[in-house]
Amino acid sequence: MTAVAVAGPLPALPARANRARRYLRETALLVGRSLQSIPRVPERLSDVTIQPVMFTLLFLYVFGSAIHIPGMRYQDYLLPGLVGQGLAFGVIGAGVATSTDFASGVVDRFRSLPVTRLSVITAQVLGQMLEQVLGMLIVVAIGLGLGWHPHLTAAKLFELVGLILLGLLAFTWFGVLLGMLVRSSDAMQGLGFAIMLPLSFLAGTFVPIAGMREVPRAIGEWDPLSSLVAAVRQVCQGTPSSGSWQLDHPVPAMVCWCLVMIGVCAPLALRRFRKMNTV
Amino acid sequence: MSEVDLAVSTEGLTKRFGSFSAVESFDFTVERGTVVALLGPNGAGKTTIVRMLATLSEPTSGRAVVCGHDVVAEADAVRSVISLTGQFAALEANLTARENLVLMARLRGYGHPAAACVAATLVERYDIGEFQDKLVKRLSGGQRRRVDLAAGLVTQPELLVLDEPTTGLDPRSRQVVWAAVRELVAKGVTLLLTTQYLEEADALADKIVFMDRGRNAATGTPAELRAQIGDHRVDVVASDAAGFEELVVALSSSFKLTLAPERRTISVPAPREALDLSTVTGQVVATGVAVDEVGLRRPTLDDAFFAFTGSPAQLGAGQVEVDEEMELSA
Repeated sequence: MTAVAVAGPLPALPARANRARRYLRETALLVGRSLQSIPRVPERLSDVTIQPVMFTLLFLYVFGSAIHIPGMRYQDYLLPGLVGQGLAFGVIGAGVATSTDFASGVVDRFRSLPVTRLSVITAQVLGQMLEQVLGMLIVVAIGLGLGWHPHLTAAKLFELVGLILLGLLAFTWFGVLLGMLVRSSDAMQGLGFAIMLPLSFLAGTFVPIAGMREVPRAIGEWDPLSSLVAAVRQVCQGTPSSGSWQLDHPVPAMVCWCLVMIGVCAPLALRRFRKMNTV
Repeated sequence: MSEVDLAVSTEGLTKRFGSFSAVESFDFTVERGTVVALLGPNGAGKTTIVRMLATLSEPTSGRAVVCGHDVVAEADAVRSVISLTGQFAALEANLTARENLVLMARLRGYGHPAAACVAATLVERYDIGEFQDKLVKRLSGGQRRRVDLAAGLVTQPELLVLDEPTTGLDPRSRQVVWAAVRELVAKGVTLLLTTQYLEEADALADKIVFMDRGRNAATGTPAELRAQIGDHRVDVVASDAAGFEELVVALSSSFKLTLAPERRTISVPAPREALDLSTVTGQVVATGVAVDEVGLRRPTLDDAFFAFTGSPAQLGAGQVEVDEEMELSA
């Protein structure tokens, strides 16, 4: 054994900063860790890249020929829908990444360090959000390449970005909470699809809710994702939707849904994180 | 001894998962500057105890104090003096070994250049150089364990806790781990280690705490425990069940036997080692019963179990799964 004898002293540890500064610093470090690992697991990005691209192509060129939306081209109907769906599918990515992290023991390592616990969970949410933003940019780029024409003024663009970030934040918190409750990433993947896939199909993503039969229409009118999709569509294309209060007022409805989701999921996730103490 | 002189002291420490009691009224102490081994079979509650000491898990009742800080009330203070290296390497799989060390150092509070310097020192000290730029997910189990140990030592802890540090390690990694541990102990770091190997506890620890189903079954120096367990043993393995019965009858008149009928094995204490081996062999040969094996061996955890609990070890791998599953779902 060669190296063991070499033992220079470690540098002295700097004095501890105050709690708020430590929180910001630790969060930044942990978000950095998430971003650093993205290029090393390209398959992790497939959820936010290949999948939406596949949906775009399938619906635009396979189903699109049979779907006629009165008064607008199908790509202008579909793309805002896919942006909304992308937001919602962030739940799955965030959930899988979270359950993987918690199962691997690396979160236990962070928890055994003198690191503020809030920073571990904030970093989890922010890291996942950034990953989803990357996916969102890819969808938008593909959409524009395939002839999507959003009608956006600077103010509308600002509104759109704000809505998307709020939506991502809400759905990422939901995903992180699910990922903490479901301790296997395979189960999380399955559960995520089982919840999100039907909800996203009912949400007027690909075909208008108004044309659906009674039962799916009733679900679609009150599906939280419907407000998301309708809100994005209204801001991008100025297309109104109708059928229920939330569809008549998609933007405030979406903001309400998101605030409710954050208000419920964030405290539950934080509590769960502290509670894991008792595990 | 006051709490100031103790790195660890517990009083009635208890952890239950539903109706299952993983740790029950567990009292023990670790004096500063000493090495204490928690010895016990899988499922005895060793990991549950170290998780409570490392503030990863809260006691159901009772109390634990680490270097003067209560693990519940002063968890943050405990975290800054303790370092835990678990059974399963807790590293970011998609970062390289060195990046993990830098991250840990920075999370401990080092600035960027200092963190790089700490990582370089640890890479050298724990013989990580040849794989420092490999992603952790591509490392072998032994290499990961070395990185994991180093990651726990970015600052010198007052109390180092190693949970089964050599289980599943190749000889080279095991040597690196032990050399590192001895060096730390020489520097005055207090060490609490858990192990299933009697030999390991015997070789390293100043004090051994023997655990059985969540309880402290025996505490003492290795010499004290060895005196209770007995030294060497002679094992006789009969070729068939009938032979086993016959040998039990023949040997029980002159020896205190420990029996494992499912393996047709009779175990005889052999304090006089080779002399006892020859006596037992003589008696076995005299019966004319066919045997597969007669051999002298060092005492194992099974023997310790028998000596302290009066029954053979019952907790096998299955129990661990239950234990962990309960931890996960609780």
